[in-house]
Order: sequence, then C-alpha cells, then structure tokens
Amino acid sequence: MPLLDVRNLTIELDTPQGPAKALERVSLTINAGEMHGLIGESGSGRSLLARAILGIHDPSWKITADRLMWDGKNLMDMPRQERRSLMGDEISMIFQDPSGSFNPTYTVGHQLLEAIPKGNKWTFWRHTREKKLLAQKWLHKVGIKNPRKVFYSYPWELSEGECQKVMIAMALAKQPRLLIADEPTASMEPSTQAQIYRLLTQLNQLQNVTVLLISHELDTLSNWCNRMTVLYCGQVMESGPTAELMSQPNHPYTKALLDNMPDYSTNVRHKKLMPTLPGSVPALRHLPIGCRLGPRCPEARRQCVKQPMLSHYKDRYFACHFPYQDEVDDDDTLT
Amino acid sequence: MGRYLLRRLNLFIATSLVLIAILFFATRLFPAELNYALSGIALPTSEQQLQIQHDFALDKSTLRQFFAYSAERLSGNFGISVTSQRPVSGELLGVLPASFELAFVAGLLALIVGVPLGVISALSRSKSLQKLIMAVTLTGYSIPVFWLGLLLSLWFGVQLGWLPISGQINLLYQIPKVTGFMLLDTLLFDGTYKWAAFIDALQHIIMPACTLAVLPFTVVVRITRTAMISVMNQTYIRAAEARGLSNTSIILKHALPNALIPLLKHLGLMLGPFASYAIVVEVIFSWPGIGAWLVSGIYQRDYTVIQGGIFAVALVIIFFSILIEVLYTAANPVSRKDMYGTN
Repeated sequence: MPLLDVRNLTIELDTPQGPAKALERVSLTINAGEMHGLIGESGSGRSLLARAILGIHDPSWKITADRLMWDGKNLMDMPRQERRSLMGDEISMIFQDPSGSFNPTYTVGHQLLEAIPKGNKWTFWRHTREKKLLAQKWLHKVGIKNPRKVFYSYPWELSEGECQKVMIAMALAKQPRLLIADEPTASMEPSTQAQIYRLLTQLNQLQNVTVLLISHELDTLSNWCNRMTVLYCGQVMESGPTAELMSQPNHPYTKALLDNMPDYSTNVRHKKLMPTLPGSVPALRHLPIGCRLGPRCPEARRQCVKQPMLSHYKDRYFACHFPYQDEVDDDDTLT
Repeated sequence: MGRYLLRRLNLFIATSLVLIAILFFATRLFPAELNYALSGIALPTSEQQLQIQHDFALDKSTLRQFFAYSAERLSGNFGISVTSQRPVSGELLGVLPASFELAFVAGLLALIVGVPLGVISALSRSKSLQKLIMAVTLTGYSIPVFWLGLLLSLWFGVQLGWLPISGQINLLYQIPKVTGFMLLDTLLFDGTYKWAAFIDALQHIIMPACTLAVLPFTVVVRITRTAMISVMNQTYIRAAEARGLSNTSIILKHALPNALIPLLKHLGLMLGPFASYAIVVEVIFSWPGIGAWLVSGIYQRDYTVIQGGIFAVALVIIFFSILIEVLYTAANPVSRKDMYGTN
C-alpha cells in the first residue's frame, strides 16, 4: 500500500474571471521510504499540491479528488481538527519562503519548541531544559554553527539561509513519516545546498523518512530522487523511476526538459539559440483545454484537445496520446 | 535601546517647551491686564503687585519673561482661580483623577469589547455578520458624541430612570479622598455603606464611559479586523498550521500578538480626539473632571484656569503618546528590527 495516494485531485481557484482549475486531475503515488521528486516550472501548482495534501489550503479553494489516502486513511472525509493533528504528527513541510514562515514576534527557538513532540520520558521539571537541548541538537544537525545563539534570535536577525536551516530543523524535529520539502535550498549557497540534500538523503536512508522533494532543477532532483513526477501547468505529464525517466522520456515535455539542460561538454557556437519549446507557459485565465502542453507540444495532434488519462506501462506513468515509446529499438532489430 | 529612550525623552522635553511658548504668547493676547491674566488676582495690593512683577520678570526683556514664566509654571504656580479664589494647581490635582478614571474605564471598555469583536469579524466566514459589524462600527464612528450622550441620558436616565445622569457619586455618600479615583476610594473606604457607595459610583460611570468608549471602540474593531485579516494570510500562519497547532492556539499565540501591534500604534494617534471627546462627555454628564472644569473656566473668563487646564491636558497627551510609542517599541520585537544593526 502506498504511503500517500492521490488520485485525480483538482483544485479550483476563484479568480475575477471565474473559477480556474489551477490543478487538474493530478495523481501522485508515494511509496514509503522513497525519495520522490516533484518537478515543474514556477506556477505549475507544485506548492498548491503540497498545501492541499497537508490540508492548509485557503478556505476559498475548491478541492475535489477521487482519492486522497494517507496510509490507508481517507483524508477527504476526516474532520478538520483530526486531520490537522495527524498532519502535524506525521507530515512536515519545509516552506518556500523561509524568513516569512516564522512569526516575527517570537524567537525562532520558541517556534522550534512548538514543533518538538511531547516526550514523556523526561520528568516534568527537566522537561523544558531537555526540550531546549533537543531543539539545539536539531539545529546543530542541520548545519548551524552556533545553535545557542540562533535559538534565541528573532527570525529577522537571521539570514535567509539560516532561516531555511531552522525551518528544516523544525520539520525534522517532529520525526515525520513524510517530509515535503518545497524548494528547500532556494536561498542557499551551493555547498550548503549539497549539505542539505545529503541530510535529506541520510534521513531517508537511516530513519526511513519518505521525502517529497519539490524543485524546478531537474539535474539536482535527478541526483537525489528515486522517482520523479513531472508537472506542467497543473497537470501531471509523466511519472516514473528517475533513471528510466532520464534515459528514455515518454512524454514530449519531459524530453523537452532533458533537451533543454545545457550541455557543457560539447563546443557550443557563440550566441547559439538554446533548444526550448516554442511559446510560454499559459496564464491561469487563458488555460488551453485538453492537454495543457498542446499549443507548445511538437507532437500535438487533434486528439490533444481531450485531456489524456494517466496511462501506465510497467511502473511508468504518462499522460499523453502520442508518447515516445521504445519503437525505435524494435526498428533497429528489424533492419 | 538606551539611545532610543534618550531620543524620546528629548522629544518630550522639546514638545513641552513649544507648548509653554505657545501658552506664554497666548497669555499676552488675553483681553486683560497681563499681571491679572498671569496671577488671577483682580485687585492686587501693592505688595502683591511687586511680587507678581518680580515672579514673572515683567520689567525685563521678553526672553527673560519667558524663562520666568516657564520657571513659575513648572514649579506649580498657576496663580489663583478668579472665581473660586483658590490656587489653580490644587484644583487641577482635584479634577485630574476623575478624568483619568473616566478615560481609563472607557478605554478598557473599548479594548475588551472591541478586540474580540474585531477578531470575530475578521475570522467569521459569514458575510452578513461581517457586514453587520462593519455597519455598526461605521455608525458609531459617525455619530456625534454630544448627541449620543444627550440621547443616552434621555433614555436611560430620564425616561427609564435606570442610571443617574450626572456627577461621579450620589451626594448622600461622604467618601474621603485617598487616590482621587472614586471607584477605588469607595473600595478603600471603611464604613457601613461601602458597597452601596461602590455600586452607586459604578452606576454613575456607566453612561459617560459608554458614550466616551464609542469612538475608540469603533476604531479598535476596524483596526483589529484589518490587521487580523492581513496576519492570517501570512506564511507563518500556514507554517503554524503545518506544525499541527490547533486553531485557538494559532489565533491566540501567533495571529493576535501580531495584529495588536498596529492597534497600539493607532491608539497613540487617537489620544488627541479622545481627549476632546472626553471634555464634551464630561460637560454633558457633569463629570467633575478636568474637561468640565476647563469649560466652566472658559465660560467665566477665568484666565488662569484656562491656562492651567490647557497646559495639563496638552502635557498629558504629549506624555501618553510618547509613552505609547515607547511601549510599542518595547513590546514589539519587529520594530526593533529597524534599529537592528544601525546602533
């Protein structure tokens, strides 16, 4: 049984032009113990999906789903308060905007303490002290050099990167089963980025924390994730094991993404145009019907005005009427 | 922080000096003899005349006169009242506590009722409740306070006869003055009719306090509402939700402290209008406070009372607005953010 099973999740947002489907029939399956990458351009609804999973969405959003199961429990018809506490105990999230994710009127330590679960192994008079020490241990673990000082600082006294690390410490302190990391390294220098990714991998391997890694960097994600899901404009394009996805993309969008990755090994002519898809991502109020990649897709044909269902082949999923299959190999053997 | 406090103290002293200067020049414009306007003695004997000349340096230059004037006023010599022939400073100390009592009760009332109502109107998802609260506050904001006071005393005082319409306490009760705050004095009073007097004082304060509370109440509701709405959209509220905190603890611990910060700032700005409303309310309900005393002084052309009253009221407003600003900085870590790294 998968840990998290989302089937055909649709989010409708109220816009001045009427309701718009920011996410349309998104399916996502995360098995326990894997590191799952969710890749998409900004505005493709990655954060919306994360917030809908956690149930911290705006009351004005209209969310419908065929299935939203967490470890066998249906989240859709769970009372709000029960869901909140379940999510608080078992799912943690690292937010995109680190310094804005801290209440500016409290020290970060105060907020970190809120995230530390109540342990009853301590006697009550040592409770606060032990909790503080544990919090500082977590701070140290995510690579903060002077945890004591950071613990008693206000969020605006810290740099963006430090805030991000505290945020990560906060998410880890709960010892969740699923960790949703929404661009966890957006504001960090490359060496720290690698450190954070290593930490996440370590947690994944040693403590069996399932990680949903949200990012727009295909090359970093492919380094760290077992499986990936590609999102474009609120629709799932393709999903599958990273290695297979990278070597043999089924979907035109995934292929385009891979082709767009700059290749520094060969000599590129000066001012040569980079390979990209024509056009740009459509705005929320001008969404094309059917497959949203349609207007930009090199393979688009008439059928594409109907949204393709997510079909699967072995353990790979893709939503395309005209996927790139392994036909080429067969042709080779014939000739 | 030390430098900040020094700067605020400096601001207080400078503003007070400007206030004294304005009073000094206004005194010379009164249609009366200068020594009469300064001392309040209508027919001074020659000794008194000499004393006044000496105290206010009337034969020296204007600058010397200003310094003499400041020294006299700051040392508490406000002259004597023309009508009562008693020192103005003594009368001032007698009426100030009553005003403070009224203002304190009204402000407390506005905050206790206003903050929860603002929070409710920000969080409620029913549009009609929100509109109802907004309509009520807008009405309260636009009702003239003198009319409201008269109407209330007509309804509850005269027609229904529920509440007394004037004064601080029934004249039957003889309460010795200890703090000057009638509610406290009745509690401190040790006699047979202690509780009867306390209840009577409470009944007397209800109507003036409610009338005076209307304006700050509406402002409190509206500010709390807007601040609360903007705070609830912040990422840190989402983060707190993701940590699994309950709604109550999110609102009380994370949203409300942040929403009260702009409220405190607006309270400081509201002191001026609040004080002038308090004067009107005191006149309507014959509350023996500084407002009623000042207005009667104006009617009787009691120049020393006018000067003393204006000096006291303005000084209190300056002091409290600076105090609120200091409190705002002390209570609010975010405002220290601006100072962070600068000094």
